[in-house]
Amino acid sequence: MEEKFLSRNFEIEKAYNLDIFEEHGGYSTLSKAFSMDTDTIISEMKKSNLRGRGGAGFPTGVKWSFMPRDSDKEKYLVINADEGEPGTFKDRYIMELDPHRLIEGCVITAYTLGLRTGYIFVRGELQHAIRRLERAIKQAYEKGHLGKNIHGKGFDFDLYVHSSAGAYICGEETGLIEGLEGKPGQPRMKPPFPAIVGVFGHPTLVNNVETIASVPFIIERGGDFWASLGIEKNGGPKLFGLSGMIKKPGVYEAPCGITVRELLERFGGGMLDGSDLKAFIPGGSSCAILKPDALDAQMGIETMREAGSSMGTGCVTFIDHTTCMVRLATRLAHFYHHESCGQCTPCREGTGWAYKVINSIEAGRGRPEELELLLDICDSIQGNTICAHGDSLAIPVRSYIKTFTEEFEDHIKHQRCPFKPWRTGKSKSKVSSAA
Amino acid sequence: MPMVTINGVEVEVEKDVSILEAAAQAGFDVPHFCYHPALSAPANCRMCLVEVERAPKLLPACYNPVSDGMVVQTESEQVVRARKAVLEFILVNHPVDCPICDKAGECKLQDYYFAYDAQESRMRAEKQHKVKAYPIGPRVVYDGERCILCTRCIRFCEEISGTSELTLADRGDKIEVRTFPGQELDNDYSLCTVDVCPVGALTSRDFRFKCRVWLLTSTESICTGCSQGCNIHLDHFRNETQRYRPRYNSEVNDYWMCDDGRLTYKNLHTDRLLSPQHNGATDNWHTLTKSVAAKLEKQIKAHGEESIALVLSAQAACEDIFLAKLFHEEILGKKAQLYIAGKPSGKHDDFLINADKNPNRRGIEAVFAKLDGIKDVATLAGDITAGTIKTVYMMGTEFGEGDRSEAVAALKKCELFILQSTQGADLLDVAHIALPACTHAEKEGTFVNEEGIAQPFYKAYEPHGDSLPDWQIFMRIAKAMGKSTLNFTFLSKVQDRMFEATELLRKAEEEAAAAAKKAAEEAAAKKAEEEAKKAEESAAATEEPQDSTPS
Repeated sequence: MEEKFLSRNFEIEKAYNLDIFEEHGGYSTLSKAFSMDTDTIISEMKKSNLRGRGGAGFPTGVKWSFMPRDSDKEKYLVINADEGEPGTFKDRYIMELDPHRLIEGCVITAYTLGLRTGYIFVRGELQHAIRRLERAIKQAYEKGHLGKNIHGKGFDFDLYVHSSAGAYICGEETGLIEGLEGKPGQPRMKPPFPAIVGVFGHPTLVNNVETIASVPFIIERGGDFWASLGIEKNGGPKLFGLSGMIKKPGVYEAPCGITVRELLERFGGGMLDGSDLKAFIPGGSSCAILKPDALDAQMGIETMREAGSSMGTGCVTFIDHTTCMVRLATRLAHFYHHESCGQCTPCREGTGWAYKVINSIEAGRGRPEELELLLDICDSIQGNTICAHGDSLAIPVRSYIKTFTEEFEDHIKHQRCPFKPWRTGKSKSKVSSAA
Repeated sequence: MPMVTINGVEVEVEKDVSILEAAAQAGFDVPHFCYHPALSAPANCRMCLVEVERAPKLLPACYNPVSDGMVVQTESEQVVRARKAVLEFILVNHPVDCPICDKAGECKLQDYYFAYDAQESRMRAEKQHKVKAYPIGPRVVYDGERCILCTRCIRFCEEISGTSELTLADRGDKIEVRTFPGQELDNDYSLCTVDVCPVGALTSRDFRFKCRVWLLTSTESICTGCSQGCNIHLDHFRNETQRYRPRYNSEVNDYWMCDDGRLTYKNLHTDRLLSPQHNGATDNWHTLTKSVAAKLEKQIKAHGEESIALVLSAQAACEDIFLAKLFHEEILGKKAQLYIAGKPSGKHDDFLINADKNPNRRGIEAVFAKLDGIKDVATLAGDITAGTIKTVYMMGTEFGEGDRSEAVAALKKCELFILQSTQGADLLDVAHIALPACTHAEKEGTFVNEEGIAQPFYKAYEPHGDSLPDWQIFMRIAKAMGKSTLNFTFLSKVQDRMFEATELLRKAEEEAAAAAKKAAEEAAAKKAEEEAKKAEESAAATEEPQDSTPS
C-alpha cells in the first residue's frame, strides 16, 4: 500500500476533531515552517511542482511568488472552496473529513507570504462542510493555531468561513472576490490579477482547497520528495473523484501521472456489469470528452492536453453505452446557461442559444444545418468572453459533437432520440433495437 | 509617448490611452456599445474586440491600454468575424421591434448590424422574454428585451450623477437593469441615461412616439434653463422643437445636461404671443411701430425721459441687450431708468444646475460693462406707485424675486406699458402694446454663461407667427422715431458693433480703474504725508503741554 497524504485521515474516525487530528501528527509542521525562511518555503513550493488543483493547473509556487512582498497594503488569503462543477466532489471530502489540514495549510501559506486575514469561500450548498470548518476554526483558535501570536511566534492570522450563495460562477477567482465583497458574482477583467488588486482592492492569493491542504506535506517532507511522487511538472499525489457507471465511485488518492485505466480498474473497480465504457470526462464537466481509446492517458496537465482534453479537477466521470450523448450535452448546456452571470454578450446569449439548439435536437426538432450552427456558436463564444465560463460550454459541446457526430446526426435524421424509451420508462428491448 | 501601429498606420499617443482611443486618433472607428468616453470601461459588450500582435486572443480595445510598439488590427478577418458573432448574439434575444422603437435611426445596434452582420437570424427557438415598457422612473421608460446590458446607464448613475439607483438583477440571459428596491430612476439627470443608452432600452417618456428621429433636423444651440449654458442639439421638425440633447463641451457641460433644462424646450411653444397687439386687438407691425413711436414721443414730451422704465431681460441674448442699450442711449437720451428682470432663482447643485435660472445675466453685465444705475425689477412696482415711473417698456414677463401680483397691479397704473415678449402670460391683459419677440430657437445670438463664457446659438427655424428678434423690434421702433442710426442689416453687423463697443467699454473701464487706482494711491500717499505731519505736530503739541503741566 502506498503512503497516503491527502486522504490520510479520511479513514480515521472523527479526525475532524482537533485532539484526534493532533494525535495523528496534525499541526506539527507549523513549528517547522516557522523555523524556515519564507524564501526557502517558496522555493520548496516551486520545487514540489505542485499545480493548482482547482482546474487551471497553474504552478502554485509561481503564483505565490507573484504576491507583492513589501507592500504596505494588507494582503489577503482566499481559499476557493466553491466546488460546484458537475462531476467534481473532492474538496468537500477534505473540508468535511480533514478540515484542520486545510487550516494548517492556510497558516503556513499566510506565514510565508505575510497575510494577516484569510477567507474560506465555501459553496453555499456544502452546509456540512461549512459546519465542520467553522467548528475546526473555533478549535484551532482555542489551541492557539489561529489568532494572535500563533505558537508564540508573534505572527497573527485570522481565518473566516464565508458561505457563498451557491453560484457556480463564484468559483472563478475574480467572481469569487466580487462575491466575497458582497456584490453579484460577476468576474472582473484581468489584468489586474488578484495578486495585485484582489479582495477590497488589496493583493490577494486565491488557492484551491486541495492545493493548500497539500502544503503541510510539502513542508514536512520537502519539495523534492513531493515532486518525486508525480511526473514531470506535475508533482505529488492528488485526489481523484470517480463517478459514473462504475462499481466503486468515490474519492481516491493517487499520484499524478496515473493513467485513467488504472484509476478505473484499480480504484473504481471497473465498469458496472452490463455496462460498456462509451466515453469519459477526465476532469469535470467543462473538459472535452474522450473515447475509451484514450484510457491510457496519464493524469497530468500536459499529458491530458496531449490526449485532447484537460485534467481539470481530476474528477473523472465514466459514461456507458446507455447514455445519450445529445442528452448529456443538453444537460451540460442547460447548466452552463443557467450559471452564466450574464455580464458579457457572447456567454450571456450564446450559452442560452446553444442550449435551445441542442435541446431541440434532443427533442427531435433538429435541422441538419444546426450542427454547423452549434459549432459556430461555440467558436464565437470561446476566447471572446471576460472569464472562462463561456469556454466551459464551448469546449465540451464542441467535443461532444466532434466525437459523437453520428449520434447527433441520427437525432436529426430520425427526428427523435434513439435513447428516448429509456427516459420515458418504456421496455428495454426498444433501446437495443434503436441503438 | 508610446508609438502604436493601427491597421498599418503609425500613431504616437499619450501614455495609458486605450487601444480604442488610439485607433480613433489614427482615424479608425472601433465599434462599441459599452464604452463611453466619460464612463469607466467594463468591456462587457465584447464589440470592440481587436487583434493585437502577440496576444493569445482578441482583446477588448476599450479596456486595454496601449503599449509601445503595439501592432493592432481593427478590421482583420478574425476581428470582423468576432464582431459579427457578437451582433448575432445580441440579436438572439432582441425583439427587433425597430418599426415601433423610438431609437430607430440613431441606434448603434441598427448601425452596426448593417455595417457588420446583415444576415438573417439563425435563431429558431422562442426568445427570452423580459419586462417591456416599464416606467423605471418618472421621466424614463425601460424595455428589458431591447436592452443589451451594456451597463452605461448604471455607470452613469454611479459615476456621474452619483445617485446609484440602478443595478443588474438576475443572471444569464434573464439579466435585467433594475432599480434597487423602493427606488426609482428619479435624479436630476435621469434623462442622460436615455442619451447614453446605445439602443432603445431606455426611452424618454417625453419623447416617446413623438417623432421619428430621421425626420429631425438638429441645430446647435444653448439651453436656456439656467445660467450654466449647457450646449445642446436642438432637434426640430416642421418648425417645432421636439427635444434637446446635450452637445459635448468639456468647458461647460461635458456630455450631460439636467432634466429640468432639457424639458424647458416646451416653453418654446406654449402660450406664444404671435402677433402684435394694440390694446388687446391684433395689429400689424407697420401701423403698430408708428403708434408706439408716437406714444413714446408723447410720454417723453409730457414727463421727460426720466419717467420711462426700460426693463432688460436676462433671458434675452446679448445682441438684443445691446440694441436695448443703443435704444436707451439714442432714443431715451441715456436718461430712462434701466431695470434687470429675469426668472427667480431656484434649486441648484454642484454639477450643472445653477441657482440663476436666466441664461444671460452675465451677458447684460458684458454689454453694459458695469451695472451701477441699473435697478432690480423688484423695485419697479414701488417706483411706479411713487410716481417716478409713468411709462414701462418691458422685455419678457418675469419679475425676478419681486412680488408678481404687486408688480402687475402697479403696471396697471402706468400711463403706457409696452410689453415685448415671447409669451404674454398674465401681462397681456395689462399691456397697452404687446410686441411678439421670437424665441432663441428662431434667431441667432450669444449667451454669456455663469462662468463668463460667451456661446453662440443658431437659428433652427423661422419665427413663429409675426414674432421678430428683439433687436429688430428695437430697430423698427427707433426707425419709426426718426433715428436711422440704429440701422443694422444683419445680426453680424450688430455683433461687430457690440464687440467694438464692449471692447471700448472694457478699455475705458481699465483706464478708469487705473486712474482710480492712481488717484487712490496719490490720495493715500497724500493722506499718509498729512498724517505723518499731523503726528509730528501732535507729538510736538503733546510734548509742549507736558512740559507746562504742573507736576
